[in-house]
Amino acid sequence: MKTPKLYFVDGAVPESPAPTDTPAPWTETRVVGKSLPRVDAYDRLSGTAVYPSDVVLPDMLYAAVLRCPHANARVRKVDGSLVERMPGVRAVITGDSKAADLRWYYTRTVFTKLFDPTCRFEGEAVAAVAAETPQQAWDAVRAITVEYEVFPFVADERKALEPGAPAVHDGGNRVGEPEKYQRGDVVKGFAEADKVLEASYRTAAEFHTPMELHGCVARWDGKRLTLWDSTQGVYGVQQRVASLLEMPLANVRVIGSYMGGGFGSKLQADKYNLIAAVLAKLTARPVKLFLTREETFLCVGNRPPAGMRLKAGVKNDGTLTAFDLTVLGTGGAYPTGGTGLVDWLVRDLYTCPNVRTEATDVYINGGPSRPMRAPGHPQGAWALEQMMDALAEAIGMDPVQLRLKNVPTVSQANEGQPPYTTTGLRQCLTEGAKAFGWDAVRRRSKGDGPVKRGVGVAAGLWIAGDGGPPATVIVKLFPDGSANLNMGASDIGTGTKTVMAMVVAEELGVPLEQIQIENADTGTTEYATASGGSKTVPTEAPAVRSAALAVKRQLFELAAEELKVPANQLYIEGDAVVSTKDPKVTKKIAALQGLRRRGLLIGVGTRGPNIEGKVINPFVAQFCEVEVDTRTGEVEVLRFLSANDSGRVMNRLTYENQVIGGITMGIGLALTEQRVFDRQTGKVVNRNWHDYKIPTAMDVPADMTSLPIDVPDPEANTTGAKGLGEPVTIPTAAAVANAVYDAVGVRVTESPISPMRLIGLIAARGKRG
Amino acid sequence: MLPGFGYARPRNLREAVHLLSAPGARVQAGGTDLLGCLRDGVFGVDTVVSLSGVPDLRGIRRALDGGLVVGAMTTLSEVAAPTDVVKGYPTLAQGAAAAASPQLRNQGTIGGNICQRPRCWYFRGDFHCARKGGEKCFAAEGENQFHCIFGGDVCFIVHPSDTAPALVALEAVVRITGPNGSRSVPAEKFFILPETDYTRENVLTAGEIVTEIVLPPQPAGTRGTYRKVRARGSWDFALAGAAVVATITAGKVERARIVLSGVAPTPWRVPDAERAIVGRRLNKRTVRDAAAAALKGAQTMSGNAYKVELLRGTVEEALLALA
Repeated sequence: MKTPKLYFVDGAVPESPAPTDTPAPWTETRVVGKSLPRVDAYDRLSGTAVYPSDVVLPDMLYAAVLRCPHANARVRKVDGSLVERMPGVRAVITGDSKAADLRWYYTRTVFTKLFDPTCRFEGEAVAAVAAETPQQAWDAVRAITVEYEVFPFVADERKALEPGAPAVHDGGNRVGEPEKYQRGDVVKGFAEADKVLEASYRTAAEFHTPMELHGCVARWDGKRLTLWDSTQGVYGVQQRVASLLEMPLANVRVIGSYMGGGFGSKLQADKYNLIAAVLAKLTARPVKLFLTREETFLCVGNRPPAGMRLKAGVKNDGTLTAFDLTVLGTGGAYPTGGTGLVDWLVRDLYTCPNVRTEATDVYINGGPSRPMRAPGHPQGAWALEQMMDALAEAIGMDPVQLRLKNVPTVSQANEGQPPYTTTGLRQCLTEGAKAFGWDAVRRRSKGDGPVKRGVGVAAGLWIAGDGGPPATVIVKLFPDGSANLNMGASDIGTGTKTVMAMVVAEELGVPLEQIQIENADTGTTEYATASGGSKTVPTEAPAVRSAALAVKRQLFELAAEELKVPANQLYIEGDAVVSTKDPKVTKKIAALQGLRRRGLLIGVGTRGPNIEGKVINPFVAQFCEVEVDTRTGEVEVLRFLSANDSGRVMNRLTYENQVIGGITMGIGLALTEQRVFDRQTGKVVNRNWHDYKIPTAMDVPADMTSLPIDVPDPEANTTGAKGLGEPVTIPTAAAVANAVYDAVGVRVTESPISPMRLIGLIAARGKRG
Repeated sequence: MLPGFGYARPRNLREAVHLLSAPGARVQAGGTDLLGCLRDGVFGVDTVVSLSGVPDLRGIRRALDGGLVVGAMTTLSEVAAPTDVVKGYPTLAQGAAAAASPQLRNQGTIGGNICQRPRCWYFRGDFHCARKGGEKCFAAEGENQFHCIFGGDVCFIVHPSDTAPALVALEAVVRITGPNGSRSVPAEKFFILPETDYTRENVLTAGEIVTEIVLPPQPAGTRGTYRKVRARGSWDFALAGAAVVATITAGKVERARIVLSGVAPTPWRVPDAERAIVGRRLNKRTVRDAAAAALKGAQTMSGNAYKVELLRGTVEEALLALA
């Protein structure tokens, strides 16, 4: 089958102006690849950066949303009439309000009302209030009386298909027919195997819980709406809001130049955008609506739980013969992709002729899922990479060697089994193992006392990370040689702005501090798809390079006249244009008369199409060492090494930031994070940062090493870079699980590996020291 | 969102007691627990009475008998700092250091730490549970992995404090001032079980304030430790913990107090475990016996059976740390 198109439109994307030529790959770079701090670090740290949640406008009101406290209920009656007269209250909207009679789309085709009487999960929006202060808004929300008819619920996907389970939707709890994939013949494959293993695995649901809360500020100027939104993609929000409010795109401006993290939960518009817009219109005042931390645990997405049963066959020489995977998952109360991509690694990561997968997605009365950092992949890796470890043990082979034996050169899961442009998996494994000291630590004693040491490895690839069109970028050169970079992409905390400015600096020689960056504003910046899918660098950087080159061409044309040297015999050195034939023939950019008279050069760049017939994927291998206290089940991660093939390293420092962040997040999946529903009410009991345990500095090792396999991929795009942000978290949890097994001989197949879970398993298997 | 409330900052203890005797008054020491409870609507409030203006409640001083007096407003950071507490009462210093996070320890006080409300997610959450005056304990039939295996009855919370077990183990005395004057209560009697009153965690009545904690001098040869196991490395409460204070002479345990955290609605003293080591040397065998004795009477629920095995390991490690 064809790779699912993530984040992009199908079909060819016209480029205009037409690209004049494809630039040659960089050979040596002057700026790109350096370890440089962020161009906006000062603004972010000093507080001068204005995030959407910082926006305060004159006459601004504050909104709050009344949310259904039940897992499954119907609103019989909602009465906000008394509330309207409460102090400071300026507007109340409910399902009965004409102004709020709007549709909300949970998917492209599945919609409800904005305030729908049918509430299929705890946290569904029921009414909203705008008031002079946040306190007054919340007082009012609490005073709205709602009569609910409360129904039985199902909150556990494993029970959703049981006979008699409450139906989340008419027609039952199956989202659709199970998604099936097959190549080769698994029966034959298992027959050819020397060892066949089968096991069940499960990863718990996780929450994104980014630092900046979800929300926006809405302001109307006549018929024009401006939203300051904490989003990963301003254009996507603009399109959705304009479409739902039946407005021209030109009249909806979305600004999100700074935003405080999303991890996939801010790739789309949300009901709060509409609610804020409606309340702002009703009151003729700007309205700020940011959710509380607790609300964000209910209604702005999650990484779905994944139940996986994996059967695998291997020959004694390490040849994989068959994989058979069944997945059960849930995206919550709406069809948001509860099992999406969970099987992708089983299909594609290792050479295996016979593969069958089947994924069943069910409804539960839980908040709808949203993509979360490498959707499906860490879950799939949790099963596949633990299974690879078990297979290696079963045939007496080193787990790194077993993986090396099965490194693919073609993407088997894609139609026609096209080759990858580059496959760094082999180098990730070999160079990673060497840098980690794998062979030596594997042979070392686990320890005589109750505290055991172990090491683990796991690998992965990311289905996307290729990037692609559309993207349009404008670079302007001022007559003093300083520049402006204008792009629509959000910098979601990864350093996008810095990396893009480095591309401009690379081509035009402008120091970073002399590049002004405008980004993520549909009113003033160019088109970009949302920042997600680890595709921002491979999508935007080539467009930035193309725009910078367009400026450079014009600059050389101007300089050619003044220096009497052909334009194709010029290059930029520092702040000057220099002849390739005679370095003494040179002129400072600021001294070019043509540029001074012209006032400004503008270069437009677009992102060209990807190479035909090849697949562009980043690869990763991670190694870790843990200590397990067999008397308490405590796991301490001592060190981590991540070897990544993400093509060219654009900025060594932001690269390392991504690696450390990805490992940290993966340790959360491995050791601490899980959504907990109360079985009696279907309510989420751990909806805060204390009970939902993201890792702290004490839970991650100080010793985290980023080892880039820095091999530019010239076929990927004109910068040679592939995506990084997601691959870095794909194998992490599985690597921890494998290290725990190595330490104590207990295979923990269900996440998280908390002391609560591990101590019981250790005791039951007699592994107590 | 915090509810509206009045705020008072009395200048002396008498005034504070007076203000706190009014219905709806809530005492604020560091405020780290109070503000969370108010924001989450765990209980209501009319007036927040801050103790920050009351003199002499903060600080550690030497008592005439050689013990220490720790003011209730002394921060956890100060209790954990390398001072007299660490030297003479390592169990308490370690307990304070194991609580919360650095920021919370800088703000939170020892008095507040022993008076904090339970962390049960039903009590803190949107559930009208027994401790809040409701009909039932949701944990009994619900998500009870963080709940008690000892002392539960009607309500199944665990006491959240890391310093309280140390205080009980150290035979500390809690000094209280209230509308009827002052009184002293041994730490061991300060905390109350649900069977006594499942809406309160300690003996304080309306208007009463913890003013000081008195630590008696410890006999020569006394050692102590606090071992805490949690699901996350910082900012997390005990899944199980053990505070131990033992006087060891000539290699043998002369006297010992072992008090558990994370397993009962109060700091949970285990006299059987203490007896298992008194008069004996701390070695693998005696420690194993003591841990086994500590587990006696544990009653598990659907999600917290792991606590038995976890507690065994925790007690063993705490005792071995003293060997």
